[in-house]
Amino acid sequence: MNDLSPKERLIRTLNKETTDRRPVICPGGMMNATVVEVQELSSRFLPAAHTDADGMKELAGEVQQRTGFENFGVPYDMTIEPEVLGSEIDLGTIACEPKIVREVFASAAETTRRDIKTMLGDGRVGVLADAIAKLHALDPDIPVIGSLTGPVSTAASIIDPMPFLKGLRKDAANSHSVMGYVTDFLIAYADLLIDHGADVINIADPTATGEILGPKAFGEFAVPYINRIADAVHGRGVKVILHICGEMKAVWKYMPEIRADAISTDAMVSLKNLKADFPQIVTMGNLSTYMLESAEPGKIEKRTEKLLADGIDILAPACGLSTASPIQNLRAFTDTVRKIGDSGTGK
Amino acid sequence: MSKEAIIQGLSDSVVDMEEEGAASYARQAIDERIDAYEAIDQGLAAGMQRAGALFEEEEYFIPELLLCADAMNTGVDILKPYLAIDEADGEKIKVVIGVMEGDTHDIGKNLVKILVEAGGFEIIDLGRDVPPQAFVDTAIENTADVIALSTLMTTTMLGMPKVVDLLKEKGIREKFKVIVGGGPLSQGYSDKIGADGYAPNASDALRLVQGLFEN
Repeated sequence: MNDLSPKERLIRTLNKETTDRRPVICPGGMMNATVVEVQELSSRFLPAAHTDADGMKELAGEVQQRTGFENFGVPYDMTIEPEVLGSEIDLGTIACEPKIVREVFASAAETTRRDIKTMLGDGRVGVLADAIAKLHALDPDIPVIGSLTGPVSTAASIIDPMPFLKGLRKDAANSHSVMGYVTDFLIAYADLLIDHGADVINIADPTATGEILGPKAFGEFAVPYINRIADAVHGRGVKVILHICGEMKAVWKYMPEIRADAISTDAMVSLKNLKADFPQIVTMGNLSTYMLESAEPGKIEKRTEKLLADGIDILAPACGLSTASPIQNLRAFTDTVRKIGDSGTGK
Repeated sequence: MSKEAIIQGLSDSVVDMEEEGAASYARQAIDERIDAYEAIDQGLAAGMQRAGALFEEEEYFIPELLLCADAMNTGVDILKPYLAIDEADGEKIKVVIGVMEGDTHDIGKNLVKILVEAGGFEIIDLGRDVPPQAFVDTAIENTADVIALSTLMTTTMLGMPKVVDLLKEKGIREKFKVIVGGGPLSQGYSDKIGADGYAPNASDALRLVQGLFEN
């Protein structure tokens, strides 16, 4: 099979259908490729593009053109959701992503609720939705990925993380109530992004890791809420990618329960083992972002060849990219996939 | 109740994340005139070290460790007024800790704080989003021994060599041990910026600090 468009290739891969070769993507959100070099070469700068739909769209196009990643990936941060849920944020700089300045609530018990429809019209939600619509119109062959901050990370961005984590053990009722509220919002938010043309929804939930939560809290507070979002997105006929950070030993057994269409992991996780243990999972990853920042292009090519030989289904960075990563290195990664990314396992 | 039972009760309350238990045993320790320092050291801090071991063995995770620390602190707050003055002020090794400017991820820093404090060190916590100059100023003001720098983000790592450089500029680099930790860091990075040590996790951070003062 030849000459699939990048969008067909990615969707077919997520559908576990045959393709001409493996896709190589950078989904946006936590994992985005708006490195300083792309901004400087294109004269499209952050933080301005965080608040301007045209700027966001232009920068996504520049990233796709210059780095070789085969998708449009927006937004470029993880604070759109916490901002409309009430937390104070700082939009950062050209080289530093937006961050939470202060979480709005001190504990799960003390949270108040905003109306979801109101929130969808607030903050930068409209900027992202408009940028997605513009990207959708820009090139029908390139998949538009809309990235969400996962439910645990969003909750830990509106409640101070320390009391939030303690609350998972000490105050399960209020913790579940907040998780439900955050998840309801994220479902409505994903719905809006799909309405505007998102082809794939990516969920990155860096607080929902085995290392932080441990297996019990991961099973109780991460899996069910991530699955609720995945089910809702599937209800719209759209595919879902989930990125999990960190070491996964403690939560390995939960992987088959997660109803995302692909699971993306950090560099220390063996996707080859994940595939061996759970052959039904579409694997995505996991080229070290340290390599992307500072390794010689030749080493990046070698590592990419290894990932391809291991049968990884979708090639992507392993984590959030350093904004100092050179385009040359990103190109070494994406070009290698284009050159020798055929013969995926089971194809 | 015997002294041993009370000390054991303090330790178990911490491991079992029982704030009320820790408070009740702490009050019994006072009633039975058990030395407050011993109750803290052999009871509460020992319990926190057991919790740290369970964390290292992946029996406990971050929520559990935080609740153990709450139980320990509840007991310490009750016992502290009964410490002899020299014990309260003490000659503890002082560690200034914080998350680098530009970064607000403080889970890792808080774990290091909990375990290093339970290991018998005094912690001065600057919180998160801390400018390099503030680490240096605080360390000087408090005649600290260690400056512990944490960051999760690659973009904020650059503040770490700035702290080292500021100390050098003032000619006081040798007065402090500078240690670093956080997701994107490595021993190689620590060596490169001229820090005195790196730890990949909170348990190793305690061992690192202990190792720096073994003599």
